[in-house]
Amino acid sequence: MKELLRIENLHASIGGKEILKGVNLVINEGEVHAIMGPNGAGKSTLSAVLTGNPAYEVTEGKVWLRGEDLLAMEPEVRARAGVFLSFQYPVEIPGVSMTNFMRTAINEKRAYEGKEPLSAKEFLALMREKKKLLELPDKLNNRSVNEGFSGGEKKKNEIFQMAMLNPCLAILDETDSGLDIDALRIVAEGVNRLKTPQNASIVITHYQRLLDYIVPDFVHVLADGQIVKTGDKNLALELEEKGYEGL
Amino acid sequence: MKVSKGDIFERVFVNEEVNLQIDQESGSHVKIHVINASFSITVNQLGEGCHTEIYALEHLRGEENVTAETHVTHAVGGGSSNQLIKFVLDDNSRGRFIGDLKIAQDAQQTEAHQTNRNLLLSEEAEMRTQPQLEIYADDVKATHGASTGQLDESALFYMQQRGIGKEKARQLLVNAFMKDVIETIGDQYADVREQLLNTIDGVVE
Repeated sequence: MKELLRIENLHASIGGKEILKGVNLVINEGEVHAIMGPNGAGKSTLSAVLTGNPAYEVTEGKVWLRGEDLLAMEPEVRARAGVFLSFQYPVEIPGVSMTNFMRTAINEKRAYEGKEPLSAKEFLALMREKKKLLELPDKLNNRSVNEGFSGGEKKKNEIFQMAMLNPCLAILDETDSGLDIDALRIVAEGVNRLKTPQNASIVITHYQRLLDYIVPDFVHVLADGQIVKTGDKNLALELEEKGYEGL
Repeated sequence: MKVSKGDIFERVFVNEEVNLQIDQESGSHVKIHVINASFSITVNQLGEGCHTEIYALEHLRGEENVTAETHVTHAVGGGSSNQLIKFVLDDNSRGRFIGDLKIAQDAQQTEAHQTNRNLLLSEEAEMRTQPQLEIYADDVKATHGASTGQLDESALFYMQQRGIGKEKARQLLVNAFMKDVIETIGDQYADVREQLLNTIDGVVE
């Protein structure tokens, strides 16, 4: 099995307050890792640090993506190299249409890979194909990014962008929060259909519910900035039953 | 100058300083766009049911220094006015907006809106905004708003997370900020409008 991501002794802080206190994690191609834990454990900080959010400071540790120093890359380079974050709170960008946004993103990634940009026709065909996967309406193209989208539409839109960009490592940060059961099913099916033997995902969630749909190979418990327990999918069930205090 | 009863006066000024004093007769319509130039526009609505629109987009770089000045007076009722003034300030540029809006005591049932939005792209750029509203009539609908801010950091990061380079992401956000002013240019000036939209928006949608 080929190693995709390696996190070693990762420490990170925001505003001088240490949140991650030595995280270690190895993710191989084809694997789904769930990260669970109580509020404030550092789950969202981990996703922010892996994607290069400038609000956070890495104070110690290393992260490699396919053997390359991930932390040395600019956020956009990490994205082009295949790290994708499904945001817990997707950002509204008034005045920038989904089409313009997505086309710019795709072509920036293609340029990074040394490929020609997609023509307007090829691009629109790709949009149509991927939108079906998430049961998103056609009118989405002309709307501003996430502006006026419902909570469910925003989360579907995240997975739609994931389908468009075809990342090697997808981080789903609380993708289930605010979703009703139908939207959850559509989002989870979308994620499952994007799974290949070459890519991997990190599913960050507070509840076991999402893991009924996206079945993880490993479940990690993050508490007070460290991974304190690792198991298989049964660990999630155990947590649901006993709570984090029961560990 | 005078805009006669029921007439329409519509102009778009690009890179051209503007100094206008306009008296509007009843039912007339004034619509002015100024792009990238200092201006001083005075409009007096002297007849009933006039409509006035003033739009400006000032994208300043280097040492540029631009003053936008509007003086709109509703002397008679039943009229409306709408102003949208936007500045994008980069480098060491200086911008200033002076906006006087006056609704006289007799100008009942007037609807007047004045909005000034400014985007600072550098620490050195400076914007001064002086809106002044004098409302003497009681049955009116008037709004005004002025804000000066920077690019939304969370939107920038969101775009970078999708692989869009920081400079391009900034450009997309600045273009988005400027676009609505240009989109208010009417069909009579469609060629100017499309040309301006093309220059701010490299990507064809």
